[in-house]
Amino acid sequence: MASDPVVVIENLSKRYGDFCALDQLSIQVDKGQILGFIGPNGAGKTTTIKILVGLSRPSSGRALINGIDCSRETSKIKQLVGYMPDKFGSYDNMRVHEYLDFFGALFGIRGAARRKRIDAVLEQTGATYMVDRYVESLSHGMQQRIGIARTLLHDPDVLILDEPANGLDPQARIEMREILLQLADQGKTLIVTSHILPELSRICNVVAIVTEGKLRAFGPLQQVMRSLCPARQFEVQLIRELDLPVAQRIIEDQIKSPVSISNRELMLRFPTAESEEQLSRILKLLIDQGVAVGQFRELAGDLEDAFMSVTKAQRMSNESVEGI
Amino acid sequence: MSILNSVFNPVFTRELQHRIRSWQSLAAMLCVAGGSILLVLMRWPTDQRVDLVSQAASLVFRPLGLALCLFVMFLAPAFPATSLVVERRNATLPLLLNSPCKPWQIYLGKLLSNSMIAFWLIASALPAIAACFAMGGISIGDHILPLIVVLTVMCVQYSAIGLWISSRVSSPETSLRWTYAAIVFLVLLSIGPLVFTGQLANWKAQLATALSTLSPLSAVLSVTGSEAAASSIGLSTSWREFSVVGLLLALLFSAATIWQIHPTRLERSRPSGRVIDPSKKSMGSRFARRLMFLVDPNKRKTAIPWFANPVMVKEFRTRKMGRLHWLVRIVMFCILTSLALTILAATGTVSWGVEQIAVALVLMQIALLMIVGPSLGASLIAAEVENGGWTLLRATPFSTLRVLSGKLASVLLTLLIVLLATIPGYMVMGYIQPTLSGQISNVLLSLLMAVLLIVSVSACISSLTRTTAVATLASYSVLMLLFCGTMLFWLARGKPFGPLLVERVLYFNPVAVALSEMETPGFAEYNLAPTGWYVSAGISALCLTMLALRTWRMMKPD
Repeated sequence: MASDPVVVIENLSKRYGDFCALDQLSIQVDKGQILGFIGPNGAGKTTTIKILVGLSRPSSGRALINGIDCSRETSKIKQLVGYMPDKFGSYDNMRVHEYLDFFGALFGIRGAARRKRIDAVLEQTGATYMVDRYVESLSHGMQQRIGIARTLLHDPDVLILDEPANGLDPQARIEMREILLQLADQGKTLIVTSHILPELSRICNVVAIVTEGKLRAFGPLQQVMRSLCPARQFEVQLIRELDLPVAQRIIEDQIKSPVSISNRELMLRFPTAESEEQLSRILKLLIDQGVAVGQFRELAGDLEDAFMSVTKAQRMSNESVEGI
Repeated sequence: MSILNSVFNPVFTRELQHRIRSWQSLAAMLCVAGGSILLVLMRWPTDQRVDLVSQAASLVFRPLGLALCLFVMFLAPAFPATSLVVERRNATLPLLLNSPCKPWQIYLGKLLSNSMIAFWLIASALPAIAACFAMGGISIGDHILPLIVVLTVMCVQYSAIGLWISSRVSSPETSLRWTYAAIVFLVLLSIGPLVFTGQLANWKAQLATALSTLSPLSAVLSVTGSEAAASSIGLSTSWREFSVVGLLLALLFSAATIWQIHPTRLERSRPSGRVIDPSKKSMGSRFARRLMFLVDPNKRKTAIPWFANPVMVKEFRTRKMGRLHWLVRIVMFCILTSLALTILAATGTVSWGVEQIAVALVLMQIALLMIVGPSLGASLIAAEVENGGWTLLRATPFSTLRVLSGKLASVLLTLLIVLLATIPGYMVMGYIQPTLSGQISNVLLSLLMAVLLIVSVSACISSLTRTTAVATLASYSVLMLLFCGTMLFWLARGKPFGPLLVERVLYFNPVAVALSEMETPGFAEYNLAPTGWYVSAGISALCLTMLALRTWRMMKPD
């Protein structure tokens, strides 16, 4: 799937007076990839996005889309990029087809071609039935679909979506996910920001984590998670409550770190970087000591853990600097 | 005690604190205080002689009373007109309704706090009123107290109307537009029928007299010692009559608003939009619909043509009355009204001449332009920024020049349509009295300048503010200052203001230029054209340059 990079960000920095919103950010995204752009509020995500769509100029560094400089050739960039901001941008008294017709006209699509394009994007986003509805009367989920339809009108190579799943109900979120995967299959490159990390981990193949304007992690999803969360999480489900102290003692002796216990669930949880052999030895020891083990399993790591690990490391580093 | 707690509830406290702390309140108070003090200073007796008839005091008190009336007209409804609609938009009204506060308590909290702010503004003119009293010839019982009562009633009445409209509409700018339209109707248009039927003695004249009690003009003129001016146009409402009618009207609107503040009544279903696809209808049905509707509002709109500016088309489509079927209705209303006025003059039902009818036409047009224009102009940029559309516009390859020209054209065209719709009336006048043709073209040029001024000033303000409500309010205030504030100098012409000063001030008012061109009594002695046109064009050019620079800055990358 991976080919030439479509989006190239090199040493991108943006300063507002003394405040550094972006600091030497470097990212590459290939054609057909979905980049999950993650970071807490104020991390610099929207600043990066604004530079990519030509709405802001970097203080230093550069951003290229299909080899075109985002800050120098903004009119070309606007034709290449479909941008959906976090705020929908609704107009009163406007029906969906009038709304799309307006943006189609702004992008210079004429007459019959515009009509065909509106029909196509409505079908692509499953919004054909909304064509005569007033935009402001649509639910949030419906408006997000129309927002994506609007970004697709001029058939851009790159779609940049700021919080597309924000405020959506589970059903609408699943539908949104399907639309985004379908677009990636069609060869579109997507950059998606979201605070709903489990949702993002289901669609993106590359992630970039930024905090305080700095890139903390970047790469394929699994690789990032492995590098950020080396300690795997395990849980041991017991059958009898009386086995809990024995099991706790055995595991703590082996892994040399504390184990958390849930008396209600009869569960022990622990993080470890031990090898498979060592883990099988722990299980054997438990059984040999007469502990009735129901389950012994590894918990799947997720993007949330990776993100929390980055932000925690950042917080600790900040605290140590303040301490000095 | 409990009743007092109910009335002066947390809603009252919050609203009052919020309003008092706003810079708008401070600016309004400084305007009122500064303006009134300046007026007194201009007429403060400096010679050693004693003014036995106390003419100086009445010369100051008259314009001061009218200026305060003008301030109350445009400042009192400003806050209430956005109060409930903003609560609804921010979804804080359901929170209030979910509290132990009853709807009437919420309403009273809002009404009293907003009325108190308006009263606070009147109070800032009290030192100037006291100075008038000190000059002598003005009594507390006959002049000062009645004026304060009339102004207070106006505050309460206009706040109640603003709150009622605010509870019925969906956006702050719409609420402001309708509120000002209602106030212009109450103050000016309500005396229109009396002007026409004043010399008759039938049921129509009685009805017209009853309608004129809604206007505070007669009361203000009589308490400031200008009874002659009031009776010259047939006004005879005393301050007591106005106060009773005003309070009754305030009660009526209050009851309607309290009834409206109810979860089930506020929760209106959003119209989903019914559209008739003409391609699915038979030829006969399509023909019948065209015949019936002329412009069918339910027909699916065609694509924006290649030659039209999409931003302009969008601006028309997003306005409720910008759709073609509404524009046709507005044009028809203007044509019929102007023709009716002209026919009135021609058939001699009233003893008015063609010149007076032209004055009525000019005032009607200005009233309409002033109600519609500022709110349209003020929403051009501010509304786009507020609803997030500006970011989307910036993300398109559309140029700043085309965005700006599309937006300005949408307002200019609307106002020109209103202006041109009265041309038939003027044409009939020119036919009746051919010598007026030159004057009529000068009047139309002055009105054109008024349109340009309204659009450029309000659009410029729109680019400088972040919210549409503030832009709308600021636009109405600045334009009212130009169109009505300058007229206060004319009202006090000769005493205390000299003819040269009045003429210079009137250059800023294209309505005054139009009236002087029609040789309207009181304006005929001023030679305002063409300097007035140049001043209007200069202000417009300045505002448009500022607008262009500001828009260019807003469109370019940060």
